Amino acid sequence: MTQSIIEIGPLQLSLCLGFVLLAGVTSFKYKLGLGRDLFIGTIRTFAQLFLMGYVLKFVFGANISWLVLLMFTGMVTAAVHIIRGRVSEKSIPFVIPTFLSMIITYTLVTMLVTGVIVGAKPWWTPQYFIPLAGMIVGNSMTAISICLDRLFSDLKARREEVEMKLALGADYREASQDILRSAVKAGMIPSINSLMAVGLVSLPGMMTGQILSGTDPLIAIRYQIVVMLMLVASTSLGTLIVSGLVRRRCFSAAQRLLIR
Amino acid sequence: MCLTLESVSFSYPDGPSILHNASLTFEQGAYYLVRGPSGSGKSTLLRLLCRLEEIQSGNIHYKECDITDIPPASLRRCVAYVQQMPTLLPGTVRDNLLLPFSFQSNKEVSPPSDLELTGYLDSFLLTGITLDSEADRLSVGQSQRVCLIRSLLLRPEVILLDEPTASLDPESAEVVLGKAAELSKQGITVIMISHSEKTPDGIDQIVSILDKGLVQQ
Repeated sequence: MTQSIIEIGPLQLSLCLGFVLLAGVTSFKYKLGLGRDLFIGTIRTFAQLFLMGYVLKFVFGANISWLVLLMFTGMVTAAVHIIRGRVSEKSIPFVIPTFLSMIITYTLVTMLVTGVIVGAKPWWTPQYFIPLAGMIVGNSMTAISICLDRLFSDLKARREEVEMKLALGADYREASQDILRSAVKAGMIPSINSLMAVGLVSLPGMMTGQILSGTDPLIAIRYQIVVMLMLVASTSLGTLIVSGLVRRRCFSAAQRLLIR
Repeated sequence: MCLTLESVSFSYPDGPSILHNASLTFEQGAYYLVRGPSGSGKSTLLRLLCRLEEIQSGNIHYKECDITDIPPASLRRCVAYVQQMPTLLPGTVRDNLLLPFSFQSNKEVSPPSDLELTGYLDSFLLTGITLDSEADRLSVGQSQRVCLIRSLLLRPEVILLDEPTASLDPESAEVVLGKAAELSKQGITVIMISHSEKTPDGIDQIVSILDKGLVQQ
């Protein structure tokens, strides 16, 4: 069952602006003050997606390994930049360990999925590597920012408890074990919840895209299952490694809590 | 000499000077009272002695050895710090008392028996409290005494008490102060912060922290 996709032309695309107009009228009528954000958001959606479309077309056409990996590095850099903005604690340097662990972990996970599970040859085939890596980075970005935010806020809120343990001879791992555990858990809950809801509450984006482009739904769900499980693995690995490395930076060599 | 501070200075980032060129000596088995206005750095002084804060200049020696050369866990086993607000974890009194023995650095110290623990509870007048009592049911005064026992179980040579009576009822405060005096008689150096105007019995020396980080012994 493979049908050719119905193309969306410039006219149909501009018709979609009617939806934004509707939202704009609502905002105006109820004085929500969202008009400016809606306008900028719409322009950005068009610009960013068109730009991404041309970049992808170029990378797919060039089919060069280093170009694919360069694009992946760009995606991780953007994700780390967003994490940096979302995490309110600025006194602990977490950007470099986050970037390095995301690059290493997610390259390996994506390689495993494209090369072994999907069986793409070579493993970096852009058509497979880039969308799958993009999903991993996007989901993990949310998980890591939730996890780090929780880690920092709990270390602050439970400072007395952490210092009580340190004063009794605990090292930084023992003193913050429970806090790390709950931070990792908080980061992973959204991807575990999506495992429960998938197919019942929502049809995931990738599967919807494949079905719209004419792929047999039974093939599309297999891809989606791979993606869902891959996302759980990558968010758990990512949050564990990043929070472990960042937690170390919250303590001095003398086992002293640095975060205030 | 047990603990000495030589020209120690400390300030928090973007904050005023807490200690300025402070030099102090604490003798083994003596009982010290640390006094000073609120925010003058009394707690910071105790935290510096067990390296929960790091000095910015000068040095601190514990038994002639620079404290930065002593592994933090070993230092903290000898120089015990009891926080102002008692911190107990969910679980029983026994779980809380045995918490330090679950840490890797204390594995070589054998944990006390139930009999020994019960003896401590009795000597701190914790009547009606058993090892199986839930920690979250204890009053602040009872929790403070449990925290003090927990620190003593590691057999420290110095005990730092950060306003141990601040939130206690007069009866509990009396027990804690009596115990502090008793500990110094047993050869443990006791350094205690107090907000009270009254000088507790048995004090050997008063350390005053004045404005602008100046210290008087």
